[in-house]
Amino acid sequence: MANLKRKLERLRSIRENNERASREVVEIWESVISKNLENLGKEKYVVLEQICIAALDCFKLGIAEQCIRELYDEFPNSTRVRILESMLYEADENYKSALQILNDIIKQDVNNSSARKRKVAIYKSLGKNAEAIKELTDYLKIFAADVECWQELSEMYINEHDYNKAAFCVEELILHNPHNHLLYQRYADVKYTQGGLENIELARTYYYQAFLLNPRNMRALYGIYLASTAIVNNTKNLSLKKKETTNKIIDWCLKEIKDKYTKKSTSDLEEKLAALEI
Amino acid sequence: MSTDLIVDPQIRSWVFLPIVVITFLVGILRHYASILLSSQKKVELQQLADSQLIIRARVLRENCSYIPKNSFLMRKQAFNKEDGYLLQKRPPVTQNMMTDPSMMTDMLKGNITNVLPMIVIGGWINWMFSGFITTKVPFPLTLRFKSMLQRGIELSHLDASWVSSASWYFLNVFGLRSIYALVLGENNAADQSRQMQEQMQMTGAASGMPADPKIPFKAEWEALEIVEHHFKLPDVEKEILDG
Repeated sequence: MANLKRKLERLRSIRENNERASREVVEIWESVISKNLENLGKEKYVVLEQICIAALDCFKLGIAEQCIRELYDEFPNSTRVRILESMLYEADENYKSALQILNDIIKQDVNNSSARKRKVAIYKSLGKNAEAIKELTDYLKIFAADVECWQELSEMYINEHDYNKAAFCVEELILHNPHNHLLYQRYADVKYTQGGLENIELARTYYYQAFLLNPRNMRALYGIYLASTAIVNNTKNLSLKKKETTNKIIDWCLKEIKDKYTKKSTSDLEEKLAALEI
Repeated sequence: MSTDLIVDPQIRSWVFLPIVVITFLVGILRHYASILLSSQKKVELQQLADSQLIIRARVLRENCSYIPKNSFLMRKQAFNKEDGYLLQKRPPVTQNMMTDPSMMTDMLKGNITNVLPMIVIGGWINWMFSGFITTKVPFPLTLRFKSMLQRGIELSHLDASWVSSASWYFLNVFGLRSIYALVLGENNAADQSRQMQEQMQMTGAASGMPADPKIPFKAEWEALEIVEHHFKLPDVEKEILDG
């Protein structure tokens, strides 16, 4: 009994921190919870939902099916359970049935955001990027302030090599969260990839900003270096003074990078995670 | 005040305690009744999109200095041009509270769970337990409190610290909040005083309905119109080299 309590607590913490510890969740289900379904009390259905998603993640469709059945017994008309069911079909690569369910849900409840998001995910796993992007832009027309979706869209555009639009999406992300160095770095990456002197200069500015926000951001440091070299090499009539400062920057970057690598034996995982500074 | 009143102990067991129990149970009942009757408020798609647009326009206005000027101007144009996001024509909101049937049922449900038990139980308690002195507050009070604490007893020379049964009922109605919170958890529907406050606000601010989306849109449009774009980043190069 004490064991059950401890495991439930662990599940709760996984839920609250949005961890993706699917294997562990499934193990907990197999070791403790499957035998104690009636003793879960108030949390029963939340836990079932969590386990269902984790099981789908590990491709244990049997467990997921069992959870869904339990949930359907309690909530026969719930859209939330129906979305789980569609996810089960999705995991089984039966995309047609999954889409069918999702379309039904959207017809019933036009502002069900999770159903719409699932649809995007299905198109994505089918490899239909164009349709996924279309679906996602339709979604963003309604939920214009959904930051995660802007991020997803930017990544899709990057995959499609449509950097202008990707840059637009990343700008939107920066607007929503102007103090995240990773976003600046991403924006600079996009701009650098786009090429052209103007874009590279802009990229360098944004690499600077990312580096300023988090001096441990190695990629930003490399970015500054690369962008600066590109500027020196590609501009024909660079003024002497500017050339000098740019060269200075390049030297400084190289020195900084070397310093960082000699100073740190990068074995410490915590140190690495701290560099992300999410 | 040398000879104080002595209250019959029967009053304690047949008036004082029953009133507490009745109000408490009615509160619990009401909690479950309102759960039974509650309906999820459906948000219109247009409303949702509107609120999200407003958020987007606001973050653009606040954080525009972190994106390049071109990008800012492009967005501003999209929001603020003749038929941009903020100025687009939208169907006028003529959703009157009285004509919208869902609004009506909501109000009816509110009344059934709120006002009806208040009137019925209150009236019943007034009729059943009228005229009793139930308890005494342990401190002296001025005459002004007589009308509050001694409803139903019109004795001019009774000390004001005595509480009549009807007033005891009202004290219970408003005072059981923390006990409900203990029994039913936070955010329960049993507490009448909270609901009454809500009702007051309802009548005050047109029932919390976002009246006309045009008004916040217009305000946001104006605010965005006067924002000037100062790119905050060009100096970071110097900042790093100096620092």
